[in-house]
Amino acid sequence: MAGLWWPTRPAAGALRAWGPRGPHRGKTVQVPRRPLPRTPWTTRGPPPGAPLPRSWQDKRPVQEQIPGLEQVTYADKQYFVPWLARPRHPHWERGWHDPRHSPGPRYEAMPLYKERVCYVCHQRAKMLEGVRQALWLTKTKLMEGLPPKVLNIIDESANQLENQDEKVQNAISHARVWNTTELIPKRESYCPVLLEDLLHLCRTMASKYPSLSKRMLARDYKVAATWERESSILQVRGLNGILLNAINPLLPVASKDEILATENHILETFHPISPTIDLQEVNVYEERNDTGFREGYPYPHPHTLYFVESANIRPARFKPEQLRAKMLMFAFGNALAKAKMLYGDDPKVLEHPVVVQSIGTEGRIFQFMVFQLNTTDLASNDGVKNLVWIDSDQYMYDYIRYLPGIRKKVVKFPPGIYGYRPDTFKKFLALYLHGAVQDSTQTKIL
Amino acid sequence: MLSRGRGKRGRRAVTAGSAAPMAVSSLTRALGALLLSSAPSLPQRAQAPRLVCLGGNLLPPCHGFSTSSTLSTNDPMWKCRIKYTTRPIGMKKTGGRDHTGRIAVHGIGGGHKQRYRMIDFQRLRYVPGAESGPYEEKVIQVRYDPCRSADIALVAGGKQKRWIIATENMQPGDLLKTSGHIGRMAVSANEGDAYPLGALPVGTLINNLESHPGKGAQYIRAAGTCGVLLRKVNGTAIVQLPSKRHMQVLETCLATVGRVSNVDHNKRIIGKAGRNRWLGRRPHSGLWHRKGGWAGRKIKPLPPMKSYVNLPTAAARA
Repeated sequence: MAGLWWPTRPAAGALRAWGPRGPHRGKTVQVPRRPLPRTPWTTRGPPPGAPLPRSWQDKRPVQEQIPGLEQVTYADKQYFVPWLARPRHPHWERGWHDPRHSPGPRYEAMPLYKERVCYVCHQRAKMLEGVRQALWLTKTKLMEGLPPKVLNIIDESANQLENQDEKVQNAISHARVWNTTELIPKRESYCPVLLEDLLHLCRTMASKYPSLSKRMLARDYKVAATWERESSILQVRGLNGILLNAINPLLPVASKDEILATENHILETFHPISPTIDLQEVNVYEERNDTGFREGYPYPHPHTLYFVESANIRPARFKPEQLRAKMLMFAFGNALAKAKMLYGDDPKVLEHPVVVQSIGTEGRIFQFMVFQLNTTDLASNDGVKNLVWIDSDQYMYDYIRYLPGIRKKVVKFPPGIYGYRPDTFKKFLALYLHGAVQDSTQTKIL
Repeated sequence: MLSRGRGKRGRRAVTAGSAAPMAVSSLTRALGALLLSSAPSLPQRAQAPRLVCLGGNLLPPCHGFSTSSTLSTNDPMWKCRIKYTTRPIGMKKTGGRDHTGRIAVHGIGGGHKQRYRMIDFQRLRYVPGAESGPYEEKVIQVRYDPCRSADIALVAGGKQKRWIIATENMQPGDLLKTSGHIGRMAVSANEGDAYPLGALPVGTLINNLESHPGKGAQYIRAAGTCGVLLRKVNGTAIVQLPSKRHMQVLETCLATVGRVSNVDHNKRIIGKAGRNRWLGRRPHSGLWHRKGGWAGRKIKPLPPMKSYVNLPTAAARA
């Protein structure tokens, strides 16, 4: 009947023109599935405590209900017949332990199981309250801006490269424009490249300050630090970022008076939210303090941690507030592990505070942080507190134009970097030089 | 090492972009993960034949897969999750079909993909381990929910976060109080707080009402609706629902105070047929049903008061 203008159904028994294609072609009606099981999240139904209607009640097999009565099942026939009962097979035991098909031990049976819960901060923990939560967990006082020692390094003109702005802009263009053949590279590709280029520029200063060569970068190392904070055990674990190690430790940034002045500072709490929110709760853990490097590593002291936040998708990326919190937690973790290794596990106020710097970036916005660990006595809320200086949301440039903006056949907006700010790289370089360059009032370390 | 077996509790490696319900989170077993609910003997999915999925709140530290969940899923058990999560879950559209495959409800199909956010309708939910009593929660975020007309709010209290139905005038940063205690005097309740009906003064506007204590809110949840607490009669309370029907419930049932958010929802204009299709509504059948009875003004007496109070006692008598 091809001459009709309205669509016709094919004859009975023929393949439907409008049916499913592919592996399901020819299937008529799907096997009726059972109704979905009842879970706490299907809220229709009788309230808790009341008896279920008959169709919802679990039907015990007739064998259990009437003792001595056997159900005739098709188990012996080994194929389905509609008028015989469905056999309930007993659970089959393999008889030997197959590691590819075994469920594994339960949490309670694991050797490291403990009743007391431990809260772990790892590299994917996005804390709800951000820096405030991290400050409470690490018993730290926040100071805005970078410490005066680092600001002095920025101000000195001798601490800059030749053509610094041009070199930095070349680095940005390399990472964001020249590195790939595609027009707009993804953040996952340009962000680590930018950090590598900036580090390379910093390393070229080693000709001026030879002590810069006494440093080493380390990637993919795992840090472990444990401490108690008001009756909850906290841990920092796992991969964090790129660590710059040095032979000589960083000298304390704050004076003794400032450290003693922190005793009066009261840590900020945020009722009703608990400070351990968004941390992973584990019952199977080991209380370990490990810097990630063995004894005898030639560059023992942590200097700077670099965090690259380069997830492509926005929900997976850390917001600046959460990135700062993560930087603080891991700087603290590295400092605490180092302090416990040097001075022992006993909680005490440190004679020589441990200083760890931290830089976090997501390709355009930089967060700078200097953390000083003054005390390992973190269980109580009073006493000497640690110090952190945070310089947040430093833009290196506003945006990159990939294609020229042409209005009326004239190039009005050439492609390139727009809104470049030189201060950001100066701070980056100053944090790198911190520890190798002394203030102008003191002599240089060679 | 993680193997690729597919047994009942078999370990599967997580691939980038795989749907959270489909991936067995063996990593969580290996790394000793979450134990938010203290019930390890519960089946992780209600009697799932072969698909067993542990609570999808994966927190492995090192893998680079995307942390956003999928848009949709082919898993028929997507709504049988036991463990609560604030992350949105991919839904499977039914098209109005039930488990037999036939259309049970006409006019449903198509529409924009939606992700389901698990809403906690039981407002008074004590965390196991925390002491019972009135507690406060802070509103973190109020956002649009594609699955309902009302807006939803992310609230955090103690160590947990959950989604609840937002009331009118709920802003991020508000503190909401939830209490199960009925005092002698009626409480002056602020909007967004949840109290038992016996503790509220007569005449308050309420929403998210339970019919039985502890069941979870099933009434007055749509955008802009509110019920009125009419009177309290020895141990029960009578509420007028938005359909003007009266309902009698025990006074220990919880309700939140205020109107539901998105008040101007009924004033919106759809504008075109396409917008209805985006909402998942297929066109009506054009056939004229003689005995449909839809046309004409209907004036009916109010149906009798629905009482949820005597039911348990009737079952006890029988």
